Amino acid sequence: MNLYKYASPINFYPLAGKLIPWFATPAAILFGVGLFVGFFIAPPDFQQGDAYRIMFIHVPAAWLGMFLYVLMAIYAGVGWAFNARLASMMASSISITGAMFTFLSLVTGAFWGKPTWGTWWVWDARMTSTLILLFLYIGFISLQSSIEDPRRADRAGAVLALVGVVNVPIIYFSVQWWNTLHQGATIRILAKPTIHGSMLWSMLIMLAACWLYSVAVVLIRVRCIILEREQNAARLVEATV
Amino acid sequence: MNWPDLSMGGYGFYIWGSYLFALLAIVWELVTLSYRKKAQAQEDSSPKVLRGSTHETTS
Repeated sequence: MNLYKYASPINFYPLAGKLIPWFATPAAILFGVGLFVGFFIAPPDFQQGDAYRIMFIHVPAAWLGMFLYVLMAIYAGVGWAFNARLASMMASSISITGAMFTFLSLVTGAFWGKPTWGTWWVWDARMTSTLILLFLYIGFISLQSSIEDPRRADRAGAVLALVGVVNVPIIYFSVQWWNTLHQGATIRILAKPTIHGSMLWSMLIMLAACWLYSVAVVLIRVRCIILEREQNAARLVEATV
Repeated sequence: MNWPDLSMGGYGFYIWGSYLFALLAIVWELVTLSYRKKAQAQEDSSPKVLRGSTHETTS
């Protein structure tokens, strides 16, 4: 099977359509399972009581906000470097979902901060750098929509995405580099997690659900972008012939 | 299995508020996508896409 042919937007369009249900259906199921484990199986926290249950949406949203930015920057960079149209379209498609998850992580963080810290917001390193991430997403989306020529918009967006990617490690390590109100990482790759197994499982299931949801929504949106851009190309060809 | 009460030990507003926001964000994204698809379908229902564009991967 020649996978390279799917780098063409026209060939990718039907493939994306076929893939969407394979991501959307498990996402819906895993959302249900994750919430069930999080609310009915996981015990209350000994310090925070039930308030910690915000974690099951806050942590996946925050991780996806960062991860989708890196993915968006990679796609934008590939689109710029190799003049690959589909990669640039994928970057555009990811940006809105990434911005939504980053916004969600800030809002749910505020909802968690009020009962645990006594305040909705502090200008602490983790929260400020996450807010900057949201501004980078908004900047990328605004820049792309303000330039009429899609190829120029892709190039300008790629520069912003690649420069802004430096903010992601800052967000991740901010709790180690600075004294912040925000707690440190609960889950590390090389160390044993410090939370109860059912809490961990609920969070991981919700993370998987959010990830599958993101893939499904990005595929739906990229199909719209392909149609919009290719229709414009079609009109241009028809106008010049 | 624990049956949580809706007040969530006094944290109900914060917990349900954050999940309500999450639900609204997801619904907003899906509704805007659906409008985008509908607008596209109304703008051009004919399969012009395949007539004017190529199968090339680069512009």
